[in-house]
Amino acid sequence: MAIITKVCDEAAGIKTFTLEFKEPEIQKSFDYRPGQFVELTVFGVGEAPISITSSPVNKGYLELTVAAVGKVTRALHLRKEKDVAGLRGPYGNGFPFDEVKGKNILFVGGGIGAAPLRSLINQMFAYRDNFAKISILYGAREPGLLCFIDDLEGWGKTENSEVLLTVDAPDAKWRGNVGVVGSLLPKIDIDIKNTVAFICGPPIMIHFVLLDLLKMGFEEEQIITTMERRMECGVGKCGHCNIGKSYVCLDGPVFSYHQLRELGEDI
Amino acid sequence: MKILSKSNLVPFLEGLGLEFKVNAPLYEGQDVLFGDLDSSKLATDFIGKPRLSPKEYSFPQRERLFTFKNNGGVEIEAHLNETKRVIWGIRPCDLYGLKFLDMVYLSDYVDPYYQARRSNTILLGLNCNKAEESCFCSSIGTGPFAREAFDLLFTDLGDVFLVEIGSKAGKKLIEKQANLFTNATSKDEKQAGILEEKSKKTFKTYIDLGKVEAKIAGASSSPVWAEEAAKCILCGGCNWVCPTCYCFNIEDVTSGDKTQRVRYWDSCQLGGFTQMAAMNSRATQAERLRQRIYHKFSYNPDKYGGEIGCTGCGRCIDVCPAGINIAYILRRVAN
Ligand SMILES: Cc1cc2nc3c(=O)[nH]c(=O)nc-3n(C[C@H](O)[C@H](O)[C@H](O)COP(=O)(O)OP(=O)(O)OC[C@H]3O[C@@H](n4cnc5c(N)ncnc54)[C@H](O)[C@@H]3O)c2cc1C
Ligand code: SF4
Ligand code: SF4
Ligand code: FES
Repeated sequence: MAIITKVCDEAAGIKTFTLEFKEPEIQKSFDYRPGQFVELTVFGVGEAPISITSSPVNKGYLELTVAAVGKVTRALHLRKEKDVAGLRGPYGNGFPFDEVKGKNILFVGGGIGAAPLRSLINQMFAYRDNFAKISILYGAREPGLLCFIDDLEGWGKTENSEVLLTVDAPDAKWRGNVGVVGSLLPKIDIDIKNTVAFICGPPIMIHFVLLDLLKMGFEEEQIITTMERRMECGVGKCGHCNIGKSYVCLDGPVFSYHQLRELGEDI
Repeated sequence: MKILSKSNLVPFLEGLGLEFKVNAPLYEGQDVLFGDLDSSKLATDFIGKPRLSPKEYSFPQRERLFTFKNNGGVEIEAHLNETKRVIWGIRPCDLYGLKFLDMVYLSDYVDPYYQARRSNTILLGLNCNKAEESCFCSSIGTGPFAREAFDLLFTDLGDVFLVEIGSKAGKKLIEKQANLFTNATSKDEKQAGILEEKSKKTFKTYIDLGKVEAKIAGASSSPVWAEEAAKCILCGGCNWVCPTCYCFNIEDVTSGDKTQRVRYWDSCQLGGFTQMAAMNSRATQAERLRQRIYHKFSYNPDKYGGEIGCTGCGRCIDVCPAGINIAYILRRVAN
């Protein structure tokens, strides 16, 4: 059981909710890794799997960024501060962290798909010295759909870090890059051999960015991505998220491209 | 091993009824279906399997998990069904089906709702002396005679049942009504062995499981998926009748200030199964049919120590209005 302590408009149709568990003991013991998700209940309506977008370094609260697309998510958007919501989790495997220390990190995000990346990025910036160059490429369909603007600004100002933005369809005020997020890739200058790439976004974006990265010389193991699948239970029973031998809710949602290819079903 | 004369079966089951809810196969019109014990309809000599497996008793088609009050949702009341139950007349294929569900629901994360039902249920099996047209349990190795997963196992020897004890709980049932049973002789056991061999010769549906296991991983782009899937009318029947299908949906049903969280069986043959906001991860029926077969013959064995997710009961063959036949598909995969 959690209380919504803050609701923030993130972008068009997208809100960020800050939640605190009602029970202080649970809040204290609730630990998670970036990339994990919770099952969120809007009482009387239903449940939906949502990535945790805050970082484990932010103690005392959780942040969830949610796009209103259907029954549960629209109902959540009508909730206000002090309303309650149900949370169970954390579920899933989460991103590698210690394993990628010392390397250049390349983030490629699209739209609200960047929610789990934000969790990892903030965790890395909390231990910034442990990583070499960090490049963040982020895009959305239009400027109004870009999320996490304040975070992006902060990350961009940090030493040895860069943030590049793009939109597919600019408005009159847009001064930045125009095009799909893959069009930002040629603009970065990193030693690919010592780089790990994290990609999150809509499936079609992931598909094309994967191809771009492979072309640039990334090995399959150097590319980490998340799979979105329909989920109901989050604990490997209901069968909805099954891909080949894996259940995305248990063995994912984070996979290296290499693991994805081993799963069996065509992705 | 014990002997129970056939005329003592009803007294035995009614005796159990004093302590347990008793379910058994019953004649219902032209069908045999599990139901609450009714000695006037009790089916003891039916051939093949009841139209539906006894899965419903441990994993109901629709189950209330818990109820919460909506005014903040603080009061949560779980609905655990702990009815003490004995099911008689479970075919070997269905015993395996329950063993398989146990593996899914009682390993790793233990499902409390399934566990509550299952740990209060005693399974009394009934071997098959004859196969039906669609049965292929002998190819999977789950029947026609059971080797495991029963508390008691009955074999029809003509005038009497040979009763094998599979667990302490089963033994206790016999001890409580010991006057109904006599000891079996080696002649009885030998007769059961002969019946098993005879039964094995009555099968009309076969697959070569070894070949299926060896070839299935390489068959993902076989034309069989699209060819067979083209016939499917999306009724979901194959999943509904299957004793091992365990996938479900969760839904919150609200009335007034109370919300019930319910789960109900879902079907991987229906497009909605994998529908997400932005896309459907299995967009074609060919992929969905392949998922049903792969889940049972490749993914499940990989996840659960080699155990196949199909009992060979053949119910999905009998039920499919489009004539999609899992044994035919598996034979195509094997070649
Ligand atoms: C691991 C994971 C992490 C996610 N993280 C986020 C996040 O951080 N922010 C965010 O806004 N969204 C996230 N999603 C997507 C989110 O779960 C769905 O948008 C949400 O479940 C839709 O529920 P609804 O009741 O509002 O929609 P519904 O009214 O149920 O349906 C709207 C659409 O969403 C699809 N859908 C329904 N249920 C699910 C489901 N359980 N999983 C996927 N799609 C579904 C439907 O098929 C339909 O197309 C995540 C999904 C997964 C699997
Ligand atoms: S029973 Fe036959 S027609 Fe119905 S969903 Fe299954 S395969 Fe398709
Ligand atoms: S897949 Fe068909 S034959 Fe196999 S257990 Fe299920 S219903 Fe029976
Ligand atoms: S969400 Fe139910 S098995 Fe993964």
